[in-house]
Order: sequence, then structure tokens, then C-alpha cells
Amino acid sequence: MRAADRIAAALLLVFAVAFAAGALEYYEYWGAGGPGPAFLPFWLGVVMSLLALMMLARALRNPDPGEAWLPRGEGLRHTLAVLGFTTAFIALLKVVGMILGTALFLAALVRYLGRHRWRVTLAVALAAAGFNWLVFVHWLRVPFPEAGIWIF
Amino acid sequence: MDFLTHLGMGFGIALTPFNLMMAVAGVLVGMLIGALPGVGPPSGVAMLLPLTFGMEPTSGIIMLAAMYAGTMYGGTITSVLINTPGESASVVTCLDGYQMALQGRAGPALGIAALGSFIAGTIGVVLLMLVSPLLARWALSFGPPESFALMLLGLTTVTLLGGDDPLKGYISMLLGLMLAMVGFDIISGEARYGFGIPEMMDGVDFLPVAIGLFGLGEVLAGAQEKGGPQVKGKLRLRDVLPSLSDWAMSKWSIARGTVLGFAVGMLPGAGPTVASFLSYTVEKKVSRTPERFGKGAIEGVAAPESANNAAATAAMVPMLTLGIPGSATTAIMLGGLMMWGLRPGPMLFEKNPQFVWGLIASQYIANFMLLIASTALIPLFVRALRIPYSILMPLIIVFCVTGAYSLKNNVWDVGQMLVFGVVGYFMKKLGYSPAALVLALVLGPLAERALRQSLIISDAGVGIFFTRPISAVLMVLALAAIAVPLAKWGRTLLSRS
Repeated sequence: MRAADRIAAALLLVFAVAFAAGALEYYEYWGAGGPGPAFLPFWLGVVMSLLALMMLARALRNPDPGEAWLPRGEGLRHTLAVLGFTTAFIALLKVVGMILGTALFLAALVRYLGRHRWRVTLAVALAAAGFNWLVFVHWLRVPFPEAGIWIF
Repeated sequence: MDFLTHLGMGFGIALTPFNLMMAVAGVLVGMLIGALPGVGPPSGVAMLLPLTFGMEPTSGIIMLAAMYAGTMYGGTITSVLINTPGESASVVTCLDGYQMALQGRAGPALGIAALGSFIAGTIGVVLLMLVSPLLARWALSFGPPESFALMLLGLTTVTLLGGDDPLKGYISMLLGLMLAMVGFDIISGEARYGFGIPEMMDGVDFLPVAIGLFGLGEVLAGAQEKGGPQVKGKLRLRDVLPSLSDWAMSKWSIARGTVLGFAVGMLPGAGPTVASFLSYTVEKKVSRTPERFGKGAIEGVAAPESANNAAATAAMVPMLTLGIPGSATTAIMLGGLMMWGLRPGPMLFEKNPQFVWGLIASQYIANFMLLIASTALIPLFVRALRIPYSILMPLIIVFCVTGAYSLKNNVWDVGQMLVFGVVGYFMKKLGYSPAALVLALVLGPLAERALRQSLIISDAGVGIFFTRPISAVLMVLALAAIAVPLAKWGRTLLSRS
């Protein structure tokens, strides 16, 4: 936790300084008759820099390394799997479409996480994809991305 | 009476078949969402908001408000049965609720919670109805300085009360405000921090951010846990009904919880969680047998459950009348109002009476539905708790993705949701406050406008915030909320060196 606080504080400090400097560089601080578009962003950046410095000071003086907060072993594998499958699902949305994508994503993740039988896995995947189609496509008429490629 | 005609009109709107159906659906879905561990009211409201885009705003808010009431009760079910609060306002219910369950009295615990919620919710709506128009009339005199001071107070109190570490809370809030700066400047029309990307120039929408932080972020944080505790045994309808002696023991606790809950819930930033903790403390103080608390005292369930429901209703008061949400959930609802083209604030009562009174009337209906659903359908919800996490989590992710997509029908928002899901994971793990971030993101543009208008009026003098009486009081309170953690920090620093 202490290491994470130090890293986060340093990153926030860099970000905040860049944010404030960027505001002054590209936008107007004071316009005709009043504060311009750079006014608030600049001060937000300044305040954030101060907060980041406070956190950095606190984390550097902190003698307690704190608890480990990153998961290990199976927990880490599961977290990364959920993140990986979700990223792939979203990245491929325009290729496989929302409905087919939903079914494939669910089948893959439910099977991976729970080691459920294929019967259960497919039932969940198909039911959810069907529900999605019914509510969003049929009822709310949301133009979901459609499959760019047809496997079937 | 003026408001009786208004209320009559409200019921006319709320009782149309479609709106009634939305209220019922909202309560049921809300209870289910509240009961599922890892999905709280803010994620539920954020994920369901896209479903309401095709509806009239009135139907939409009826569904969301009913859902909010439902989640408040749903969280209780898991607190009592498996000692895992479904949302933060039910944390304190675990203390005595789970002890009651261990003693085989899960039924009466859930029953008294339902009854207390119903009473508190109903009285809360009456108070809401009486207080809101008065507050709205008073707030009509607010100019930009008062609006800004009020928003600052809302932001600082949410941050101060939201977490254990005020510094991380304020950092979260600042991040939200900085994100709110992205996109077109409301006064000059200039695009800020767009980096030439058209989607960025449009600004950061709060909804993908909220879905990411609360929905996907929670799922990611929960992914490392194993299966989770499971509910055993069955609960039948007659087990849920509390006995007369249960009622006699808890009726005053319910009354105290209701009053306290409403008062606390109206304050910007305090909300149901604080209300439930406070009322538990009060009950323990006034009880003649405080040693029973923590060992299955029914008052320890009745009071906080009444308080959190009253507070959830009261949280609507500042949202509707002042346009200042008191919690993450009401912040998301407020964002919804703005997406429907309504401008929350004192004018809402004059310009959209059918919306406001339809919502108030539907709250009565929602509370009544909640009582029926929470007693009759408890066996069903207990069964829903048995769905393994490995099936539930992927389903929640699908809901996050479709919700983020259907906001504007583009994949960019889904990507944004994913990014904030990862951000939410780290925020949760490292003790930052996603609620403060979302609240700041929603209020950011409004606060900036009020600030700049004030400075234009005053010709650049900051004094304008302190010379007008209402604004001065609000500013002093807001600054106190900033000063308290600073002073504490300074003291520890001094004592160490």
C-alpha cells in the first residue's frame, strides 16, 4: 500500500502540473470581463499538485509498508482473466457484433471462471444474448454493432 | 391546499398502467441488485439508466427512484443472511441482523426491516412533499455565488464523509473536477483537453465513467474472491412476519430511525450510510439494555433500516430542489435528469410539476410495493443469492457493456467504461472514493459556470462569496469541511517531529 501511494502520488503530481501548465499554455486565463477557459483548470491543477505533494510527503515518511493489496495466485489469474476477456469482447464488438459477442464472451468467461458444465454455460450465454436482443434491439431499438463477419 | 391538488395530479400520473409497471419493475430489479453482493445502488442505477432513454422522463425517474428504494431493502437481505452487506447503507445491519439469523431469527429480522423501511419510506415521502416546495421557493433567490457555495459544500461534505482517508477523498474529487474540464467550455465555446479527438472534445460523459467505476470496477475487485458464502436453508413467508413483541420492542426505534434518517439524508453528502450508522449509535445509547446490541437485538436492525430508507427519500430533496445530489446514486440520477433535458433546481417545481409530483406519488406506490415484495418474495430472492459468482460476474459485465454502448450508440463510450473500470479497481483497492469522483464529474460544469459568472458579476473579487449572507454561511461550512482534515494532519505532523 505504501509503495502504491508513493507511485500514485508521483504520477498525480506530474499529471497535475501538466494539467495546469497545459491550461495556461493553450487557453486564455482571463478574457474580456471575466475568467477564461483556463482559469478553473489552472487552479484545479495547482490544488491537485498540493494534494499530491501532501500524499507524497505522507507516504515517504510512513514507516509502515502496509498490507499487500495486489491479489496473488488464483485471485490474480481470475482478475486478469476477467479483464482480458472483457477487453477482447469490447475490442471485437465491431467485428462480431453485440449479440454474438455477448454469447461468445459469456460462454468463455463462465466456463473459465466456474468450470460449469457446457450445458449450464451455453444456457447462460444464449439466455443473456437473447435477453439483450429482446430488450435492446427489439424493444428499445438500439442500433447495436452487427456482426461484420458471419461465421454461421 | 395547494399540494393536495398537486399530489392528486401526481397520483394521476403515477397510476397510469405504464408508470405503475415501471415502479413495480424498479422495486423488483432494485431488490435483486441490492441483494447481489458487489452491485450496489450506484452501479444498479448507472446500468439501468440507459434503459430509460426511450421513455418519458417521468416514467424514467419513477423507475429509477423505485429502484433506489428497492436496493435499500435488497442490501438488507444479504446482510442478515450471509453477513455480507449488499451495499454500504446495510453494513451496520450485519451487526445484529446476522446474529439474529444465527439464532434462527432471520425471518423476523428481515420482516422488521421491511416494516421499518415501509414506515420510514412513507413518512419520508410526506416530509419530502412538505419540505421540497418550501426549499425550492427559498432557493429561487439564489444567484451564481449561492449556487457555487452550495455545490462546493456538497462536494466537500461527500468527500469528508465518504471514506476513511480525507486526503484520498479530496484527490478523487479533484480528479472528477479535472475530468469535467475536458470538452467544450460552456462560456467561450473552446474545446479543452481534446487532443484533436472528436470524442474527447465532446467531453467525458459521466455515465460510462459511473458504470465503469461502480459496475466493472466492483466486478474486477470481486474477481479475486472465491465463490463467496452461500445461503443455507429456506425462508417461508410466515417466517418473515415479526411477532407482536418484536414490534413492541422496535416501534420507537423505527420512529427515531425515521426522523434521524430524514434529517441526515437531507444534508448534502451525508446520505443513507451515515444515517444508518448514526441511528444504530443512538439506539445503543438510549437502550436500557445496551449489552444486547451486537448479539441479535432487533432494535439494532429496525432503527438503521428505517433510517437508511428515510435518508434515501430525503436525498431526493436537495437533488430536486437545489440540483445538488447528496450521494453517488442521486448524482447519477441527476445526470439522468440533465440527459433528459430537465434542469434540476428550484425552477423544476414550477416548470415541470407533472414530473416532480409524479415522482413523489410514485414513491408512495414504490414503498407499498416494497412492503409486499419484501415479505412475499423473500424466498425468491434467497434463491437468487445462490447464483454462483462465476455466472453473476460475467452477466454484470455484459450489462455494463450494453449500458455504456446504448448511451450514444458508440463503442468509444464502451472503451471509456473499460478504462474507468480499471481505474475503479485501483481506487477501490487503494482507498480512493469513486463516489466523490462521479459527484465532481456531474457537478463540475455547473460549478464552473457558477464560479465564473460570480467572478464576472463581482468584477473578479472573491469577496462576493462572503458578503452575501447565504453564500457566506455555505462557504464557511464548505471551508470547514476542508480545514478539519487539514488541521488533523498538521497536528499529527507536529506531534511526530
